[in-house]
Amino acid sequence: MIEIHLYGKLRRFTSSRAPTGDSIVRVPLEEGDTIADVLKRIGISLEEVGSNIFRNHKYSTLSRKVEEGDRLGVFPDDMQLLYKWYFQKEDDQG
Amino acid sequence: MSKILRVNMTDLTAKYEDVPEKYKNWGGRGLTSFITLEEVPPTCHPLGPNNKVTLAPGMVTGTPAPSSGRISVGGKSPLTGTIKETNAGTPFSQHLARLGIKAVVVEGQPKENGKFWLLKVDKEGAELLPADEYVGKGLYEVYPALFDRFGKKAAIMGIGVAGEMKMAMAGVCFNDIDGRPSRYSGRGGMGAVLGSKGLKFIVADDTGGPGVDIADKDLFDTGRKKLTEALRTHGVTKEGGGLNTYGTAVLINILNEAGGLPTRNFSSGEFEGASKISGEAIAEGVKQRGGAGTMGHPCHPGCIIQCSNIWPKPDGTEHVSVIEYESDWALGANCGIDDLDVIAELIWLCNDYGLDTIESGGTIAVAMEGGLAEFGDGQKAIELMHEIGKGTPLGRILGQGAAFTGKALGVVRVPGVKGQNMPAYAPRAIKGIGVTYATTPMGADHTAGYTIGPEIMSVGGKVDPLEVEGKAEISRNLQAATAFLDSTGYCLFTAFAIMDIPEGLEGMVETCNAVLGTKWTVDDVGEIGKEVLKRERAFNEAAGFTKADDRLPEFMYYEPLPPHNTVWDVPDEMLDQVWEL
Ligand code: SF4
Repeated sequence: MIEIHLYGKLRRFTSSRAPTGDSIVRVPLEEGDTIADVLKRIGISLEEVGSNIFRNHKYSTLSRKVEEGDRLGVFPDDMQLLYKWYFQKEDDQG
Repeated sequence: MSKILRVNMTDLTAKYEDVPEKYKNWGGRGLTSFITLEEVPPTCHPLGPNNKVTLAPGMVTGTPAPSSGRISVGGKSPLTGTIKETNAGTPFSQHLARLGIKAVVVEGQPKENGKFWLLKVDKEGAELLPADEYVGKGLYEVYPALFDRFGKKAAIMGIGVAGEMKMAMAGVCFNDIDGRPSRYSGRGGMGAVLGSKGLKFIVADDTGGPGVDIADKDLFDTGRKKLTEALRTHGVTKEGGGLNTYGTAVLINILNEAGGLPTRNFSSGEFEGASKISGEAIAEGVKQRGGAGTMGHPCHPGCIIQCSNIWPKPDGTEHVSVIEYESDWALGANCGIDDLDVIAELIWLCNDYGLDTIESGGTIAVAMEGGLAEFGDGQKAIELMHEIGKGTPLGRILGQGAAFTGKALGVVRVPGVKGQNMPAYAPRAIKGIGVTYATTPMGADHTAGYTIGPEIMSVGGKVDPLEVEGKAEISRNLQAATAFLDSTGYCLFTAFAIMDIPEGLEGMVETCNAVLGTKWTVDDVGEIGKEVLKRERAFNEAAGFTKADDRLPEFMYYEPLPPHNTVWDVPDEMLDQVWEL
């Protein structure tokens, strides 16, 4: 089982949607799961997900593998803020 | 032709001067730092007669360019002893620019201590008037009285009682779009420097003024349209986008997830009450309470991002504007306070007394650490704020900022650099911001170069916040880019759009070229920024700062920060590399 904390408009994928509280979904893990896999499984379209994805408080890409007991924090695309001026190209390569 | 207005507080004169050739293509931070380096002896006492305060609108401020109403306030800081530039978005900046004023330089010191003056600037000229009747009062009382006296069309710069008392965390206050005393050039105690010069207010009215000369109107329109289009389409800056909907406090939850939200005086990177004080919670409270509550409020006319807000009381009447991220964090999570109404009251008190919210929150947190209150005790925090405003002996200590308070109370965990308390990003969790805190000429300052961007918020995720590698270069480039942006007059938040949408940055540079008659390209941005940084660094070196000052406080080297449980481990050599410009 892993725990996914959702924010902003993604809170609609949980039963506790109060913006002043925690909106959490618990998902059973399948062999080889990445963050993208589990998000898709609970019905979230990846287009709505921004770059602000955290696995156990570490900034992560969607392709990162998840493990039993992980905690994910996922923000939508309109909640990703600030500078990547000089780094976007670097980021996009490789 | 724009002018420099020189205000001499020793002989109480205000005179216009031509702009020297070397300053012609500068504005905002680039200009305040240039003038400070040229005219202020680096070893002077910040509150003595030889320090100067320079106020400068940005290069394109006062034009119809979107979100461009920033003003820079510069000089030598009484908080850090370094050069200082601190900026705000306000109609005041637009008024100065449209009066044809490129900079106001305030110098000298009245012989008589305790007298205060008001500088009135309009198309007829500039004159100093006595301001003693406004001394000792809160700014929420004084600003309406000044608008009654000088007309609603005017714009006001002011200092509060904290500035009168020359407190090192006194900010410089500007009115917002509706006349509230709520937009601050808060950092570094520049309000105290104005206090030391007896200058309490500047009232500017651009009615009938010459406006801003635009050398190439067609180019300006082309650039303005490109930039506007970028701001209107980017997810973060557009209408209904992240900033407009949640305000800057959208960052509370993000930093909390990243384990980088400094909590209880930087003893944790995670705050259990984060969701209660988040941008989403603010938006929800505004919606539920209704009344005066507003999200998507602009700080000055012409801002199309509109990240500001008005927080209502439970009965819907106005409490305070604005609860922005840094204030929310400083007076909230950093003090262990999870109640937005308490945070709103603390911000209101800062605005009323004339205090920097970041340094105030940092100071209260250090005071809590030192045993003056329990973390999370909002009522006690409010009492401490009143001590400052009333200028009690304890208040005079707190008013000097977190580092001074830490010394007074024997606190080791004082999270500052060069005497300035850190803002809302924990450097042990987000190493790059620590590099910027350590090395910026300003003392710990996040706006000096947000490595937060690539580390926490970028697409792709190749930059790991906890990795050490490559941080010097990132920080250097971002500091340079920021120094340029702070010179243009554009709000820092335009950066979201111009970084993602190349036409946006092009448009921005074109508007600058159109106003100044320069021929810059987007590739010049970094070099222009570096020129600013070099001048600031030169001032600090002459003031006696060395690379040994470019370090984080010692406790961060040995005390692991939860939840990552990492210490500050960026090698000193890497910090020094930032200055290999
Ligand atoms: S984005 Fe926010 S801070 Fe910037 S100019 Fe607009 S309202 Fe002011």
